[in-house]
Amino acid sequence: MRTKVLLLVLAVAALVAAPAVLSPGLVNASIQMLIAALFASAFSLLCGQAGMLSFGHSAYFGIGAFATIHAMNAFNGVGLLPTPLLPLMGGFMGLLSGIAAGWFATKRTGVYFSMITLALAELLHALAPHLKEVFGGEAGISAMRMPAWGFTFGSNVEVYYLTLFWVLLCLVLLYLYTLTPVGRLTLGLRENTHRLRFLGYNVHRLGVLVFAVSAMFSGVAGALQALNIEAANYVVLDMQLSASVVLNSYIGGVKVFLGPAIGAALMSFFGYAVSDLTRSWLLYQGVLFVLVMMFLPDGLVGEFAKRVREGRFGLGWERLSAGVLFVVALGFAIVGFVCMVELAQRFFSTDYRSMIVGTPWPPVTLFGREWLPFSAVTWGLPLGLMAVGLGLLNFASRRLDPERGGVS
Amino acid sequence: MSTPVLSLHGVRKSFGPIEIIRGIALDVVPGERHAVIGPNGAGKSTLFHLISGQLTPTAGEILLDGLPIGGMPPHLVNRQGLARSFQITNIFPGLSVFENLRLAVMRRFGLEFVFWRRASRLKAVTHLVDELLAQVRLEKRAGVLASELSYSEQRSLEIGMTLASDPKVILLDEPMAGMSHEETEYTVGLIREITKGRTLLIVEHDMDVVFSLSDRISVLVYGQIIATGTPAEIRGNLAVREAYLGEEAS
Ligand SMILES: Nc1ncnc2c1ncn2[C@@H]1O[C@H](COP(=O)(O)OP(=O)(O)OP(=O)(O)O)[C@@H](O)[C@H]1O
Ligand SMILES: [Mg+2]
Repeated sequence: MRTKVLLLVLAVAALVAAPAVLSPGLVNASIQMLIAALFASAFSLLCGQAGMLSFGHSAYFGIGAFATIHAMNAFNGVGLLPTPLLPLMGGFMGLLSGIAAGWFATKRTGVYFSMITLALAELLHALAPHLKEVFGGEAGISAMRMPAWGFTFGSNVEVYYLTLFWVLLCLVLLYLYTLTPVGRLTLGLRENTHRLRFLGYNVHRLGVLVFAVSAMFSGVAGALQALNIEAANYVVLDMQLSASVVLNSYIGGVKVFLGPAIGAALMSFFGYAVSDLTRSWLLYQGVLFVLVMMFLPDGLVGEFAKRVREGRFGLGWERLSAGVLFVVALGFAIVGFVCMVELAQRFFSTDYRSMIVGTPWPPVTLFGREWLPFSAVTWGLPLGLMAVGLGLLNFASRRLDPERGGVS
Repeated sequence: MSTPVLSLHGVRKSFGPIEIIRGIALDVVPGERHAVIGPNGAGKSTLFHLISGQLTPTAGEILLDGLPIGGMPPHLVNRQGLARSFQITNIFPGLSVFENLRLAVMRRFGLEFVFWRRASRLKAVTHLVDELLAQVRLEKRAGVLASELSYSEQRSLEIGMTLASDPKVILLDEPMAGMSHEETEYTVGLIREITKGRTLLIVEHDMDVVFSLSDRISVLVYGQIIATGTPAEIRGNLAVREAYLGEEAS
């Protein structure tokens, strides 16, 4: 308990101190990470705690973003809604749309619930281009962050702190929610809706409430995004955002409170770090998701928490060496796999095809080296690396697992 | 006889072309322990589903304290003072025993859409949960996940949850199924104690339990009640012996 609090305090301190040491590019990436973390936490209230998997949460994020942009233009940063309070607008519209959409969606459960959320989001996405007044058409709508309360909000450091404040506030509120009677009932909704009904609870109303709260915080996340980029475009309503919030949350672990936030922050950081280097980012994201689901079904944070609970971090030379081996082996496997994907991506690209004039086919460059399409090294090296890596991984994980004869 | 607290007239239920409940009339008077017995597939559970709001009757009338509850959604039936347990254990598997009971108790205090208080600080709720835990002999298991309880412990938990809303009328669907002799004995004692001042409608296959516990018994065969009476009357009833008790003996 004490270590938990200490860790949290340290993490918050690090977040507050971050802009002092980060480059502007990284400050920007951090803003994205914070927004992604809040969005994933809002989504996971519904998905992880209430057990209702929404495939259309981009809708509430987008509604929050557009509401904020319109409010920015309407109020011009003065009067009732100065810049720092604009996320309230996103949250409010998220809440309203959540009540409306949730009323329909929570009439059903399971797959049918998911399908309704998907359909509603797609409906909005399809409508948006036709409602130019509201969504601004292809060009989207832009607005200006106005100075308020002595801040200019001109630098992205100020935007960072504004975002940090709102994200931390919302996370605290979401956490407090889990401690309240309605928060406990939310878990009941996930565990056994049927029983709840026979205990006298109106589960439909409860479902709408949870849905609306989740949509409200998603709307705040959307608002922060709009504030950050000073624009909104209907592409935020796209299915891709809905999908990535699902993936990110599960990668972190939907059933632990900070799991989704950490998962989303990590993934959006990787996205930032890697998307300039590769065109296969979505593929890596997908592979990562599949691997996490297969080997760490409770998510990165969820599995970590579980191991801490079970006290499976006993140190000792044998465990430590097996652990190091595990990490090295994982590195081998990853390098091999990445080589493979990047080579394949280059050989199968249209750019490459246009380079082919007669035989022999030209080489491609990767990692500062030339690779020929029909050489044994080109395919043998990555495959070999992967094979070695996987073999060692298998060995190391057996050493680490007491149930399979490893050291404990 | 005083006015019935629960009363059914001409209740019927069909699933498609098959009529499972074929015209039931039943009066349960306040304070009595009333058992419903009958062979497998007679429609006992279906009858409970109709009374508790899980199913809507095809025809007929169900009155709770004079108020028609046939077809009313389950949570409203519950708020009229009727709680039930299920034949197949129906609890919150991924939550602790304590949490299972707390969810059941909170409703009694109207704590549904409350997000300005901490659940752990609700003294009255916690107190009642502790009392229920002791009553169903699960105090030592309070922190354990409900899914990790033994089968009979889960049955006890479910009885505790049914009690939590302080109902006037309790419906128990085979609460003792799968319990050992000792556990059954304890549970019978528990049911006897908790139903003081309440009305009980119970489905049970163990005839010793039925005959010792109930004030009156109704025999349900193929969707119809063929006899209602005191244990002695039922034991002496020829039709019942042929239709049901005889079957047991053979
Ligand atoms: N939803 C349903 N749709 C179709 N038939 C059903 C449905 N529910 C129950 N039945 C049928 O109704 C009949 C009575 O079922 P019910 O569960 O009420 O019996 P029961 O008396 O409780 O039996 P048991 O002693 O085995 O618990 C059975 O033949 C069952 O197959
Ligand atoms: Mg039954």
